[in-house]
This record gives sequence, C-alpha cells and structure tokens, in this order.
Amino acid sequence: MAFYDNKHWLISHIRNSFVSSDDTGMCEMVMQGENLSKKLISSTKFDCYPGEDDSEDDDMDAMGQSFDIQSDLDFGGHRARSNTAARLEKMDREKKRAAKTKHIKWESAPAALSKSEMAEVFQEKDLKIESKPELKAGKSLLAQQLEKCPNLPQNPFQMFAKCDGSAHVGVKVKKYGIFLPLLPAPDCNYPMTVIVLAAAKVQDLIGLILYKCTIQHPNQKFKSGVESYALHIAEDDGEIDWDFPCLDPRETVGKFGFKFLALVESKGSLSSHLQEEFKDVVDCGPVHGTSGNKSKAQLQEAELRMKDHMTAMEASLYQSYQVHVLHPLRAKTEIHLGVSRDKVEIDPVTQQKVSAKFWVRQRAVSYDTDCIVACDLLETKSNNRAVFRMVYYRSSSPSPELSSATPHSMNFKHHDFEAAESVARAVVQQINHVLELRTSARRKEYLALKERRSHRRKSFHLGPR
Amino acid sequence: MTLTMTSDSSPSEQVILATGGYDHTIKLWQAHTGICQRTAQHTESQVNALDITPDKQHIAAAGYQHIRMYDLASNNPSPVVNYDGLSKNVTSVGFQEEGKWMYTGGEDLSARIWDLRSRALQCQRIFQVSAPVNCVCLHPNQSELVVGDQSGVIHLWDLKTDHNEQLIPEADASIQSIAMDPQGKLMAAVNNKGRCYIWSLSGGESQEPTKPKPSHKIEAHPKFALKCAFSPDSSLLVTTSADQSARIWETKDFTLQTELKQEGQRWVWDAAFSADSQYIVTASSDGVARLWNIEKGTVEREYSGHSKAITSLAFRDQIVNP
Repeated sequence: MAFYDNKHWLISHIRNSFVSSDDTGMCEMVMQGENLSKKLISSTKFDCYPGEDDSEDDDMDAMGQSFDIQSDLDFGGHRARSNTAARLEKMDREKKRAAKTKHIKWESAPAALSKSEMAEVFQEKDLKIESKPELKAGKSLLAQQLEKCPNLPQNPFQMFAKCDGSAHVGVKVKKYGIFLPLLPAPDCNYPMTVIVLAAAKVQDLIGLILYKCTIQHPNQKFKSGVESYALHIAEDDGEIDWDFPCLDPRETVGKFGFKFLALVESKGSLSSHLQEEFKDVVDCGPVHGTSGNKSKAQLQEAELRMKDHMTAMEASLYQSYQVHVLHPLRAKTEIHLGVSRDKVEIDPVTQQKVSAKFWVRQRAVSYDTDCIVACDLLETKSNNRAVFRMVYYRSSSPSPELSSATPHSMNFKHHDFEAAESVARAVVQQINHVLELRTSARRKEYLALKERRSHRRKSFHLGPR
Repeated sequence: MTLTMTSDSSPSEQVILATGGYDHTIKLWQAHTGICQRTAQHTESQVNALDITPDKQHIAAAGYQHIRMYDLASNNPSPVVNYDGLSKNVTSVGFQEEGKWMYTGGEDLSARIWDLRSRALQCQRIFQVSAPVNCVCLHPNQSELVVGDQSGVIHLWDLKTDHNEQLIPEADASIQSIAMDPQGKLMAAVNNKGRCYIWSLSGGESQEPTKPKPSHKIEAHPKFALKCAFSPDSSLLVTTSADQSARIWETKDFTLQTELKQEGQRWVWDAAFSADSQYIVTASSDGVARLWNIEKGTVEREYSGHSKAITSLAFRDQIVNP
C-alpha cells in the first residue's frame, strides 16, 4: 500500500488529483512544470517535507503517484468515488470485521497443573452410569422431521445452487438485480439480488435464479427446465428492454455488464430459435454424428442472424483502441481510447515528459457515456487512415457571466481522432451502439439543437449527425 | 408443507448439519429439506475438519494454521474466535463434552489441548509425536486421547497421568481415522491401504488406563480409506474411502451390512450417524453431501451448493421422547 505518512507523496498525490480531475487543463498548465517541494525547500529554512529524501527511493514518476490515472481498475462501474476512497473503505471494513473476531494464539501453560487440577479438568467419566439403553431407543429429531415431509420433491434446480457466489471471497462474482415479472404483485416489482460466480454460464444463472425462487416463493409453479426461461436486459425500474434478444444461455456471465436483468418465460421466434439451437448443441454433440452436420449448418445460419444483435450487445463491453488524437495545432498524440457501457476514456500511451509541449500533451480524461452525444466519421484519407469526431457535453463553463447567457451549444465540445480506417469504423460503430443503448437527455438536446440550427441556416455545420 | 428460511427454534433444539471443503466456505443445512440456510466464509483455507461445541452455540473449523469458531445462533458469516499460532494444517478438532477444553491435531507433529474456560486456570497441553497427526479421537470417558499419525502409529495418551502407549497395526500405512464407540468398548482405525483394524477395549475406568486387544482386521476398501465412525447405539461402523463408497459394518461380527454408493459420488471424505442410528450423512468430492437411509441403502436427501469438494461435515441430532 502507499506511504500515507509521506508528506511529499501526499502533496504530490493531491496535485495529481487536481490535474486529472480538471477538465479545463488549466491546473495542469499551471502546476505541471514546477517542482513545488524543491522550490519550497530552497525558499524556506524550514523542513517542510521531511519525506523528501525518502521519496527519491520510491522511484515513482509524478504521474504514477495518482490513483486517478489508473482508470482501468474500475471500468464498468460508475466512477463516483476515487479508487483511493474505495480502497480505504475496503480496508476499513476489513479492519472492522477483523476486530469482531477474537484472536487467541497458542501458548503453553505457564505452569504445570497440580494433581488435583489435573483430576478436575481431565476427570474421567463413568460410562456405566451413562449407558442407559432406553435413552438411546427413542426416535431421532431428524427422523421425526423427515416423516413430516416424506415425499419432498427433488428441487430440479438444486444443481445450480453451486453457482451461488454470495459467500465466496477472492473469487470473481457478478451481482445482479433480477426482476421476476412471472411472480404475482408485489414481488414482481422488486428485484431479487442474485450473486453468481463470474465463470458461470447464463443458463447456470437462470437455474440459480429459479433455485432461489423455488425456495423464496414455494407456492409459485415453475417449469422444470432452464431452457423454458430467458434473461432479458432490464431498466432499474424493472422495465424490460424488448428491443434486445435475451442473453445467450451458453455465454459466460462475466461477459455481460448489465446491472438489472429480468427473467421471463421464453416465447417468441427469436428465443425459441435460440433454444432449438441450444438443444441441438446439447443433444447431438458427439453422440449422433449424422445429425450433427445438419445442426451445425443451422447453427451457423442462426449465428449469422444473431451477429448483428450480438455486436450491439457486446458494445457494452470494454474495448480499447489505439488511435491518435488530433490537436488544434495540427499535432498528434497517440492515445488509448477505451470504450465501455459507462464511459469513454482517453489515456495517453506514454508519459511524454520531455518531448511534448504542454499544449500538445493529452491529459488522461474520461467521459461519462451520458455526456457523449455523437460520434461520426469525418473523412477517410487515401492512406487507409480515417478521421472521426466525438462530440461531448461539458457542463461547467469557466467564466460565470458566460454560462448564464450562452445557449447549451457552447457546452458541446469535440475531440477529433485519427486511426486506421477499420479501427475508426469500429470505434464509431461501438460508440453509436452504446449511445443507442442509453438515451441521455444531453443527446436529445444535442439532436434537437442540430435540428433547429439546420432549419435556421442550411449551410451551418455543427458536427456529425 | 412450506419451506421457510426462518427458524423459530434455537439452535440447541435443532438438527445441525454443517459441511465444509475446498471452496473456502462452511454451509449450514436444514437437514430434512436439503435447503442451505447459511454460508460462512472460511477465507484463505480449505476446511479440514468440523465439530460443533457441546452447547451447540458454535462450530469449530480446522484449516491451514488455524482453528476458527463460528457463531451458530447469529447470521454472522465471519468467525467469532480465531485460534492461531500454529504451523501447517490442523487436521482434526473436537471438544470435551462439557466444553472445558478443545483438542486438535495437526501436521506440525502434535496434538493439543486448548483451555476454553474464561477463568485463568491454564490447562493447555501439547503432545508431540514424530509424524504429522492425521486424526485425534477422544475416549468417551473424556480423559484419554487417541492420536493417529502418518507413520502408522496410534498413540494412546492418558490426559490424567500423561502416560502414553503406542500401537502399530501395520507398518508404514498412514492412519487416516480413529473412532471409538460411545460405550468405550471398541476402537476402530482405518489406514491408507483401505484396511480397518478393530480393538476391543478393557479398562478405561476408575483410574485404569485403557487396554486395547486386537479383535478384527477387515479389508474394508480396495483403496485409501478416509474416515471411520461408530453409530450412537454401537451396533454399526461406517468406513468411507477413495473408492467412492461408504460401507456400513455390523459391529457384532464385522460383516458388511450395506454399501452406500452413487454414480459420480467420487471420494467420500466424512460420515456421521443420526442419533437413532437409522440414517447417515456423507460428504464427498463431487460437492454434494447425502443423507442415506441405512436400512434401504437409498439417498433420502442431497445437500448441494458447494462449488468444490466437501471434505468434512459436522452433524448433531438428538433423541426425542415419542
């Protein structure tokens, strides 16, 4: 863990936090070049930074001391708190939990026990008094309880209980809120929390949900096969997103980043197609060789059909692209562009300490998907490169008198990127898929604004879309 | 019939069934329905052995370098007491019947007595042997400990006098488990060759040390044997093995009564009888514990939920007045 007692490190961390959380870039321009601690030391006789010498050994560069720049640590989740806060909280929780446990270390007895003490502690029990046969002859509590429920039907979903990840420590798990529209009100209105091992398949998750349902709602009738049910993407209020197909039952759970899902009885053409395929795969594996070919062809056909749907689904998953960001001054910086369901991240590839001027250097930034409003190809060059533009919304305006008067259009900024054409197309496709998945107010606003502008002045070109 | 998660009676009036194994969890089951009621975390270690305290308030789990005690009455998934300061695996754990002390055995070549009383009377004891300890069994008279080690030696340790004796039923065959019947008349031990040795015991009362007399030797299993236990009425002996079965033997002549076997069961690590000696629970590597009807040889209930092998179980049943 970090050296929190090192004042030098702390101030460096605070400075980095400022730099990385300030979207205007002003902080960076002001603070980056100088070495504050050295300056302070030379200007005062006081020992302001006793950790100064130690920190030389730490071998960390200035950027490396910021937790916020390690943005890949928490991708997929909302970035409400910094990693530091999350880590500290986790440590705190563990400490609290450990404090509740009493620790007793093995120690040998300080002194040998006396004869009488020995006789008391290790007293011999007389087994003759104890062995009363009539005491043992009765019925056991277990037998009595078993008699009360003689024909307990075997829970058909019992085998899925092992996918429950709720008590696992150090194993990757996924937590979902599952809506169950098939239950009567009010149970159908609230999600059931299900924690599943990340390595489990979607069909295992369905089985686990059904297993938990059969225990929590014993009066509800369920069909006995997991293939009779499907998982759909849902909103946090339980509304099912019918525009998307159900999750592929053969896929691993860890692949999907959704927080809420809904379990429904599978019906309709698409899901039943899927089921047939699924059954084909299960039934005619290596056993029936002849029918295997046929089902393979069917499978391929169906897979092609599903491909479009799946690309839309996979758009939520984190993808990293290597592109160049184009600066206004015609300079380029190589960056990693990370796109996931929740945000778009820009990370500089190298820490260009020496070479780059500060106005060219790209800071590591991350945009919430809700702030991204558009992304389109601008031009394709002859050398197989393409330029694309991403338009985003930035809320706070640096000068107050401007922000009150200006229309929102002032808040839409853009980044231009250059990449190989195939990469550019992939990025544009993914971002647009993600945007379609989430309808944000900003995006609507932007589209409306563009509409108005194009009516007013036909020649005006604000940006893509 | 309704299946509910809540239990309205205190743990002391219930049947308690706990299982633990390689998935670093301990699960508590409602024995008659097969529903998992609770899962406790046993972090960073597999569970080698489990035992319930005599007051049925806690369950002890022996793992790597520690013994952890969990509260049975609350829903706390973390241990309430952690006994440590040991090296290597703790392989067995058990309690004196009044809860005065706990005994453990481990791969650090020793068996120990832990003082459980809050008063400062220290009765901590250690008994060292020359090979890793695989199993420890307390004589029903509560004052003699039987320790089985990997080199094949059985040590009889008289706690009152510190006197000890050795038995070597078979050279170089690791003793895997030792059991005594509740009346203290029989002792059984199984080894890694699948053989089971039976001694009839005399003495063990009025300050006289127990004297074992070899009585039977059975080829219990074709492979590695893992566990043996006597039924509460002393009429049956169970042996479990890597041959994927548990076998029930009649103690009157040590003939095979039933073989408990099921497809895909894999290694059977542990077994325990119900209070009326009519049922038996087994724990196996397929991650499932099973409740068997001994007479019929059928599986009555399955306890499934562990994601890896179950290597130990603890079971407390009681006789009710009809």
